[in-house]
Amino acid sequence: MESKIANPISRKKFLRLFGAIAAGAAAASVSGVLLRRSLTAQPRYFWQIDPAKCTCCGRCATSCVLPVSAVKCLHANRVCGYCDLCGGYYRTNAKDLNTAAENLRCPTGAIERKFVEDPYFEYTINESLCNGCGKCAKGCNSFGNGSLYLQVKRELCKNCNECSIANVCPSGAIAQVAYDKAYMLKDG
Amino acid sequence: MLNAVKKTVTHSTPTLRIWAALLLLLPAGAADAQRFPKPDFESGYTYPELRYAIPNETLWTAVDVVLLTALMGVVAWAVIRKRTRAPVVVSSVISVAYFGFFRSGCVCSIGAIQNVALALADSAYVMPPSALLFFILPIVFAILLGRVFCAGVCPMGALQELVNVKSYRLSKALTAALSVIPWIYLILAVLFAVTRSSFIICRFDPFIGLFRLGGDVGMIVFGALLLVAAIFTGRPFCRFLCPYGALLSLFARVSVWRIKITPTCISCELCHNACPVDAIRAPYANKVKESRLRGVKRVLLYLLLLPALAGAGALTLRTASNALSRVNKDVRLYDMVAQNEAAPQDVQPPELEAFYGQGGTVEELSQRAAAIQADFRRYATAAGALMGLVIGFTLTGLSLKRTRKTYEVNDAACVSCARCFSYCPQERTFAKPDLS
Repeated sequence: MESKIANPISRKKFLRLFGAIAAGAAAASVSGVLLRRSLTAQPRYFWQIDPAKCTCCGRCATSCVLPVSAVKCLHANRVCGYCDLCGGYYRTNAKDLNTAAENLRCPTGAIERKFVEDPYFEYTINESLCNGCGKCAKGCNSFGNGSLYLQVKRELCKNCNECSIANVCPSGAIAQVAYDKAYMLKDG
Repeated sequence: MLNAVKKTVTHSTPTLRIWAALLLLLPAGAADAQRFPKPDFESGYTYPELRYAIPNETLWTAVDVVLLTALMGVVAWAVIRKRTRAPVVVSSVISVAYFGFFRSGCVCSIGAIQNVALALADSAYVMPPSALLFFILPIVFAILLGRVFCAGVCPMGALQELVNVKSYRLSKALTAALSVIPWIYLILAVLFAVTRSSFIICRFDPFIGLFRLGGDVGMIVFGALLLVAAIFTGRPFCRFLCPYGALLSLFARVSVWRIKITPTCISCELCHNACPVDAIRAPYANKVKESRLRGVKRVLLYLLLLPALAGAGALTLRTASNALSRVNKDVRLYDMVAQNEAAPQDVQPPELEAFYGQGGTVEELSQRAAAIQADFRRYATAAGALMGLVIGFTLTGLSLKRTRKTYEVNDAACVSCARCFSYCPQERTFAKPDLS
């Protein structure tokens, strides 16, 4: 029997067409809803450490996906007391106050100390040596002003979808911040 | 110093606000204590200017999206219009070099599934527009042109494509069993994403360690094994693991334009043998003498079993939901705190130190953990039902024996790698009028 329709389409073709329209509608509605939210609200993107929550547990040094962690110690000079006996620079039980490795807190020798004027010393972090272990930051928090603190360096961080340090951070200090707030700084 | 604290307070959670207030009251507290006054410098010392480099991420994400679209366009043009493989290989090299090594494999479409799932489940979560585009553009292309994203735009697919030398065919039974895994993986990934527990697709990414030249040893070994397997059989990751491939295969079934068998096909089976992902079905004469009506009745009977399978899956995962919820950090922390409350430990792990240090209360944490576990029960039930359906549909599909007179492309499985074209003896004569 001849079909009365001018251009009959097969069942398979019809199902495909119907499926394509349904799939297109689903994709359009999902992307419409989410894109509007992404454009009106501030998406959070960059991983940063909240210095107020950080307990300097040392996991940043070992849990980053990079061979050397993207977390580095930053130094807020405006918070620093410029002490001679620096809790971040010297170990608690340092025998002599000199630059011998056994007296220093930093395992990689990344903290540089410079005499400014009596009795002040300026401390600078050599970031190429720092591995983000946070020993100095812990010392500075315990005995000093807390001017040494850990932070994710944005030029090093790969911005993983899920931060592997945040997964193991005991204090939940690592969270994503908005695009325009690049860094959570202590002196910024 | 005060300024710094104030600044933190302005954009912080209530708990943090209490924490900051405590700090101001107790200057001898742990962090941010101004124990030593600001020094009065007399030698004219000035504070060093601190500048922290900020890479232009907006620019790079724009480049990502433009390149993603351009490469998919090139691949689609090559495989559907020109029916040639060279541009796919070029695109694969570019993708591995740029998306893989240069951009370190992040952001990727496979991982973006989790962001989309979380954004759909939680209206407070705002996903980056680039991640959304990475999720949706390959799907749009799949609806229109098939899985061109898989061909040579996804760095993971491209990497396996480039190392593939020989395509040993796996047995039908093994292929069918293994091809359920991507769906199970997809469902689990969505489950853990919507409960804000973990992004397992990112955590268990086998090739990211290679792209970053470092990472978790176990995953690098697994990735290396997959790559070695990819030399001998087509794309083991894409076929038997990739959750996004599973999703795209669904959309590719209805694609508007797609790769077709050469119209002047002489049924020589060369393309069928060349296909690394077993996406070209050979002609098949159904020897089972079954009337159409009986066949339809049989399939309907199988479909009636689907609710039973879905129910069994739902029950299984609901029972396992408490165990699954331990993937969530807060649930684990609550367990630790509860254990410590029952029998206080002398040396506390950093988690407990941080919890008590931040002044967290057990009640508040237990409420939070209970809410997450309730979420897990709800979502795990749905996930279990979906897994049951996936298994049911796969089994039903295995019992469908359709007679085919010609070679046919399985659009869901075809990854548009374009290997088949050069194997076709009819291809050049067919393509000639098209080129002139």
